[in-house]
Amino acid sequence: MAAKGFSYHRPTSLGEALALLADLGPGAVPVAGATDVWVNLRAGKLAPEALVSLRNVPELSGLRKTEHGLALGACVTHAEVEDDPWVAEHFPALHQACSGVGSRQVRNVATVGGNLCNAAPSADSAVGLLLYDAECRIETGIGHRDVPLTEFFAGPNRTVLGPGEVLAEIRLPLPAGRTFAGYRKITRRKAVELPMIGIGARVTLGADGRVAEARIALGVAGPTPLRVRKAEDRLEGELLTREAVAEAAEIAAQQAKVRDSWRGEAWYRREMIRVWIPRILDEAVLSRKG
Amino acid sequence: MERITIRFKVNGEDATVAVEPHWNLLRVLREELELTGAKEGCGAGECGACTVLVNGRAVNACLYPAVEADGAEVTTVEGLAGPGGELHPIQRAFVEKGAVQCGFCTPGMVLSAKALLDRMPLPSEEEIRTALAGNLCRCTGYAQIIEAVQAAAEELSR
Ligand SMILES: Cc1cc2nc3c(=O)[nH]c(=O)nc-3n(C[C@H](O)[C@H](O)[C@H](O)COP(=O)(O)OP(=O)(O)OC[C@H]3O[C@@H](n4cnc5c(N)ncnc54)[C@H](O)[C@@H]3O)c2cc1C
Ligand code: FES
Ligand code: FES
Repeated sequence: MAAKGFSYHRPTSLGEALALLADLGPGAVPVAGATDVWVNLRAGKLAPEALVSLRNVPELSGLRKTEHGLALGACVTHAEVEDDPWVAEHFPALHQACSGVGSRQVRNVATVGGNLCNAAPSADSAVGLLLYDAECRIETGIGHRDVPLTEFFAGPNRTVLGPGEVLAEIRLPLPAGRTFAGYRKITRRKAVELPMIGIGARVTLGADGRVAEARIALGVAGPTPLRVRKAEDRLEGELLTREAVAEAAEIAAQQAKVRDSWRGEAWYRREMIRVWIPRILDEAVLSRKG
Repeated sequence: MERITIRFKVNGEDATVAVEPHWNLLRVLREELELTGAKEGCGAGECGACTVLVNGRAVNACLYPAVEADGAEVTTVEGLAGPGGELHPIQRAFVEKGAVQCGFCTPGMVLSAKALLDRMPLPSEEEIRTALAGNLCRCTGYAQIIEAVQAAAEELSR
């Protein structure tokens, strides 16, 4: 059973949710799928005065696909992403990241927005979203602001969201050009485990056949999910050769702030980055040819 | 805290329960409605013993705020058998394939399997394993469970 002593509110519009959060004050915590919130309540790590549920807010639901890209309502669940063939085709790394979160039971309720707002260094979907230059639409109660995902995280389990603010939508532009991308989480068992290291890579080729955009993103390699710009720089403007990819992987491995923990040792995490960035891109190239 | 009255359907029947905000759906099912098929194992989303269907989707009832069941259709293992008590084909396959030993995981396994077969009538072995990955079994070694789901899938698709 969770900690006692909070009230539970179920607004049915975004305006109502924001008004409730404002009225109830800083003791009010938004809740979406509750897979982090309920676990934290039970563990005594969270003792809110009120929970404001975002589950029934229609403005926060739904996947919208356009010719420019994808807009994910913050309350889109991981299972909705998993079950969407269009997302699998156009944003394969995001699809892989979301499909590997927890179990089907977790994915059926856990939201993508919740994964970002919980801001765990290990957040799988966050790494997938970083690869695609996601932008976050934040509703403040008096208006909104758009923040690139690279600036959304403020530290372990901390974001730039102020009290009463709600993440409303996550927008991803469609990569412009031939794109190869993938995400791999390294775990000790095959399912229902947080990554020991989360590894994502994307390259988008320009008309000249060179790498126009490179994205390397990691989970559990620092205080927040992060991009490794130095590794990306090694690839951009270059031909996509094995040497270039191996060097970028080496840079990412060296830049990663990995640690020893009971889940895995630092040297191994680094080694996995070295091994998997090239493999992810190889697999992506092969699957596109298929 | 003041109780909140929720109205929902359990196994096709209307239920009205006054719940505390911190209750989970598992507590409502087991203690208020005396549907003890769903079990509490870990209480934290890891084991799947508490799996039930909410609007056809498998969820961990231990992490499902009871308040959120308002207006939903919930299915527990008690709702699977036919009116005369005859077992659901998935249940029958579990019995026939030896997929039940102590039985603690079984209600959750059966419901995860049902949610899978409802959306994917003939899943591959890989798809079955993925769908059941959130259900732990300490007894069977899983092989018989996978076989049971395959057998049920074939029977249901016939
Ligand atoms: C068994 C289990 C396995 C798991 N496995 C994984 C895994 O493999 N990989 C992984 O990355 N995570 C995993 N998780 C963690 C969790 O499921 C994810 O972080 C999930 O995406 C959280 O989403 P939620 O909707 O449940 O968030 P909630 O628990 O509802 O909320 C999480 C946090 O975000 C805030 N919040 C939620 N939505 C908003 C919003 N729109 N605006 C503002 N604030 C908001 C809440 O206040 C809270 O602080 C697992 C959890 C469990 C219980
Ligand atoms: S009791 Fe709910 S997942 Fe273990
Ligand atoms: S039969 Fe005993 S836990 Fe599965």
